[in-house]
Amino acid sequence: MSYGRYGRPALKNSVDVQLQTAFTDSNWNTVIRLADKRFKTLKDPYYEAIRIAAESQLDGTTERCTALIAIDELVKSKAVPDYDTLELLEWAARDYLYDTEYAETLGPLRARWVKANPKSKFSVKCLQSCLEYWDLVSAQQIATTLDKAFANSGDRQYMFWSITLTYLLSVSPQCSEASKKVYSLLVVKQLERAADITENAEKVESKDRGLLQEEEISLYYRVMLSHGSKEDFISRMQSPKLGPLAQLKEGRKDLFYQALNAYESWGEWDRIYDLCRQALRLGLDGVTPTFSVCDYKVWKKFALAASKSKDQETALGEVQSILKEFIALKTNTAMYKKNIALALLDTAFRQPEVPGSSGNDSGVTPRVIQIGLYLDSYFDKLSAFDDVKDFVAELSFEEVKGLMEEVLPKMLEEKSDKSSQVILKSLICKLRYLLTTCTQTLSHNASVVDGQEQDKPYQCRLCSTLTSLPCESCLRSVVTEAAQIYQQIVDDSELLAAIPRLDKDPRIDLALVMGNSILKLSGLRPRTSDVAPAPLRDVNPSLFLQAVLVLDTQLKVTPSDVALRLLLAQLYLLLGCASYAYQIWTPLEVKRTIQDSLSPLFFDRISSLSPGLFTGTRPLMEPLRSYYNNSLHSSCPLRIWDAFSSGSYSSILEMTEFDSKLRRSCTLMMSIVEERRATRAFGGKIECEIGDLALTENIDDTTTLLNKTDYGSFVNLESPHGPPIQEFLRIGPELSNERAHLSFLSEQYLDLIHHKPPKDHRPYKPSEAALKERAYTFETLSQLNNSLTSFIHRPTTPAALTSPEATYYTIISLLSAAVLTALSTTRADPYPSETMSVITSSIRTAFTGLRTRFTSSSSSSSSSSTNSTNGVDETFYSLTDMHTLSHVRETALAMRHSAAFVQAWNDRELARDRSGKSTLHKDGLAELKALDAMAAKTITEVKGHIQKLKEQLGGGGWLDKMLDWTFGGAAAEGTTEGEGEGEKTAKVRKAVEDVVGGREGAEEWVGKVVESWGQGVKGWGLVRME
Amino acid sequence: MANFRQFRPDDLNKFSKCNLDPFTETYELGFYLQYHAKWPSLFQVAEDQHGNIIGYIMGKLESSPDYYKFSEHYLPWHAHITAVTVAPEARRLGIGKMLTEQLEAAADANDAWFVDLFVRSTNHKAIQFYKSMGYSIFRTVKDYYGDHSSDPTKSSEDAYDMRKPMKRDVKKEHIRENGEKFEVDPSDVW
Repeated sequence: MSYGRYGRPALKNSVDVQLQTAFTDSNWNTVIRLADKRFKTLKDPYYEAIRIAAESQLDGTTERCTALIAIDELVKSKAVPDYDTLELLEWAARDYLYDTEYAETLGPLRARWVKANPKSKFSVKCLQSCLEYWDLVSAQQIATTLDKAFANSGDRQYMFWSITLTYLLSVSPQCSEASKKVYSLLVVKQLERAADITENAEKVESKDRGLLQEEEISLYYRVMLSHGSKEDFISRMQSPKLGPLAQLKEGRKDLFYQALNAYESWGEWDRIYDLCRQALRLGLDGVTPTFSVCDYKVWKKFALAASKSKDQETALGEVQSILKEFIALKTNTAMYKKNIALALLDTAFRQPEVPGSSGNDSGVTPRVIQIGLYLDSYFDKLSAFDDVKDFVAELSFEEVKGLMEEVLPKMLEEKSDKSSQVILKSLICKLRYLLTTCTQTLSHNASVVDGQEQDKPYQCRLCSTLTSLPCESCLRSVVTEAAQIYQQIVDDSELLAAIPRLDKDPRIDLALVMGNSILKLSGLRPRTSDVAPAPLRDVNPSLFLQAVLVLDTQLKVTPSDVALRLLLAQLYLLLGCASYAYQIWTPLEVKRTIQDSLSPLFFDRISSLSPGLFTGTRPLMEPLRSYYNNSLHSSCPLRIWDAFSSGSYSSILEMTEFDSKLRRSCTLMMSIVEERRATRAFGGKIECEIGDLALTENIDDTTTLLNKTDYGSFVNLESPHGPPIQEFLRIGPELSNERAHLSFLSEQYLDLIHHKPPKDHRPYKPSEAALKERAYTFETLSQLNNSLTSFIHRPTTPAALTSPEATYYTIISLLSAAVLTALSTTRADPYPSETMSVITSSIRTAFTGLRTRFTSSSSSSSSSSTNSTNGVDETFYSLTDMHTLSHVRETALAMRHSAAFVQAWNDRELARDRSGKSTLHKDGLAELKALDAMAAKTITEVKGHIQKLKEQLGGGGWLDKMLDWTFGGAAAEGTTEGEGEGEKTAKVRKAVEDVVGGREGAEEWVGKVVESWGQGVKGWGLVRME
Repeated sequence: MANFRQFRPDDLNKFSKCNLDPFTETYELGFYLQYHAKWPSLFQVAEDQHGNIIGYIMGKLESSPDYYKFSEHYLPWHAHITAVTVAPEARRLGIGKMLTEQLEAAADANDAWFVDLFVRSTNHKAIQFYKSMGYSIFRTVKDYYGDHSSDPTKSSEDAYDMRKPMKRDVKKEHIRENGEKFEVDPSDVW
């Protein structure tokens, strides 16, 4: 009998045609009748199973459960079931059998059957079935039975299935802690025994029970690393047959890396040194191909290990000697040459003494010379900056000067062709930007003078000006220089013609340097605490807009540049232009498998920024939803049977781990929550409570949800001393376990208070049903309150939330407590006034704080007053902080709906129990009504605010207004800035104007920005406020 | 700089440098996992110092089904290159070549007769690249692709089936001269 997972099994050949036909035609009533008749005549229980399977296909609830009941009876009977009966029943129960039930019913039945028929060809099918339901306990039992049955047959597969499943069980939650220990010991012993057979045999044959294939040895390494002791592992790695070096000779590089990584995690540097040295020698001697050993990782670990050696000088000498031998090899490809060049650089930085810091006046130390040599060879490669960035950041100040004032200018002089010159110049610009993020370029000045705190507590050692962090003078110089080189390229047709032949268009790098520098000058900083103001509140809007304009202009020239597109999508989200950000995001084609790691870059918090995006023709989250549904539809890791049947044991472990992580993805939770919030915003129907979704069924408070956002494609010009670029660009902190849990719990709370029983629901015993509902509601509220409180008070939580989010989740937590208290206090009970007062006053205080943050901008925006410092009116801040408005609305509605929920509860109690004894205490009702009134007032303000924004955007004069905001109008110029500052700002503005083509060049861009703001506000106009 | 190693599923979270490039297709999760599950040694990646994947090759080992054995188009046990990609920043460094060499080493280890691949007949750069690595055209598959990469007026494009013999093919029985002249239909390609 063979069928796909849910394919209908074929009946036994012995079954008559009439019954076969009825079964094939899904003529279930006929099947039931005929099967029953045959059973009575033939007394063959198989016909009874056919009858049950057919009955399970009928619509009635009782009939549908027949297969489950039959399976239960089989489990209890202890008899060995018939295989075909099992197949039929498993198929019949397919829609009602949850994985846990399978592990208690069909799984053990399958295991029982295999034990009785170990050599049957169907045994493997039984194993496959157990794996499909991820019933590891039964699967391991079956694999062990198969291993024993075929121990002498030479079929190694069963032995390794058994070992692999024992290992999986030893790390699975399906196994008790005590059993985990037993299985851990067992799997180690099994593999040690297999390893010993290999060690002691002259030659391992495929019939032996030793380790032979790479996948088998990989399993041995992994299990020993996971469950064995460090000493055992190290001792076993010395094996001349199974040790990493022996395996490397066989071309098994993965095993070599496993050992190397293990040694590194234990700080076994002498072993790393020896292993790398011997491996590289194998490459030199031609024993193993160079691609097996010539990775940069090997060189880096080798140099690092040498630097930690007791005899550092000799060890580093050996590294250099081997490097020289590799340099002499003729067979090196460009990539290996580059790896070797980087290894030389790395070795220079591992030398014991830093010559620049030993009183040597010249900064041109061996380290600097090595950077120069590297750049001389690779300056025109796209990755050149990334390759040297960390080394440059490690230089002393004198070395920095040596590099920037001697080595690089000399290199520039030596470049004769124009293309090389501009590429090198743009690389120097990037390095200059990098140095503004390095601490060695600043020296401390007195931070307090005459009792006054100084706003410029550093002196820049490069330009000697007093500065705050980073040096604004240097950043301005970088901008003007980058703009000059940019102009040089644009004005030179020869250079423009050369660009397609280059590794990368240098204009992109220059635009990125300018953009990043101006963003820093604007005051854009990572928002790291929950008290941070709205994203652009502390930013100079003019400079921010200039930065966006420069980058946007470049994107028009080079639309296929991914890094530019990613950066701009983030910046437009910050600017409140979500629809335009979406236009920029869409061509990146983030689809299918890469969504989990890349979608957060656009979709995180999107419902709070621009719910209107969800009103498009295609549901915004559909691709994500279908990705998770397709990838996680079964509790079994996708394609796991392929790995079992192919003997890919390391793949089995990795795929299982990957599957577990995907189920705990923060992106998954984000996609569900964002969609639900948007659905609610437009009054749509939420089909299923969040806790009932298959994708969330295994998530509880103890589950650690994982953020796997991939920032790899961002161009990060920042030094390792400071935060990476993505932290400057987000609305708030990235996805996190804390935020994902809080959003999940809050949605569960909203599900509870929004729950309405179906209209046709008439309980048979209303009082009993009410008691059950009461118990369920109290229990749920209590659990939610505990969980929310616990997550909110974790020390890591404040750094994981924006300020409006922190308030929202705090208030949801407090509301759950308020509602629980109100519901559990009837009019006859003493009123817990103190508790309730603390809860409601906390809600009021938190909500007032959030409301103040919102109304301070909304009241100003209504008057369109110009911000005297920054030259923009408050409309700008309102448009760029819809996130706060969104949370004001969400919080206010949660307060209103909580009050309504309590009131409805009271009304129901009043209707049910005319005595009025079970109605709620009037003080509790009054407290919630007061919260409702407060929230209702705020909702009116939110509506008014949106209406005013709509009117303001509908008004004329936006082109001039935006150009003035960006470049500074006549009124804004020279307002509060001193003469010197104004001049400096003007230099940056002039540089920007040169690159973008002046104010005229920016007009089209202004149109797009204002249009996007308009679309965002229009979307908000459609959002329900009740 | 690069390190080469076998693919791990976690690498999928570091694919952006390759897969945001418009010339690289992104598949469903099951597709990548199938290759990792069945032919782990033929799914190799190159990673940079931050763990970002800057190149990868996916291949498989197979032969035509037995019932095809008497067909002139029967393919004996061989390795097939399904996809190879290198991130823009890592091009011109020979990473594609090194990934292909590693797949060839795995093909030899698995006793394959040859390695084959399909390439658009107008993709001269790729054809040249494979020729430089010892591949030759074995046959032309007419109208294999349902679109044309450079001519929007055409609704299809031919593919070249290119091959490189492995160690097992001592007598070079599985390659031929002037392979582009041997035309077959897509239905002949298993």
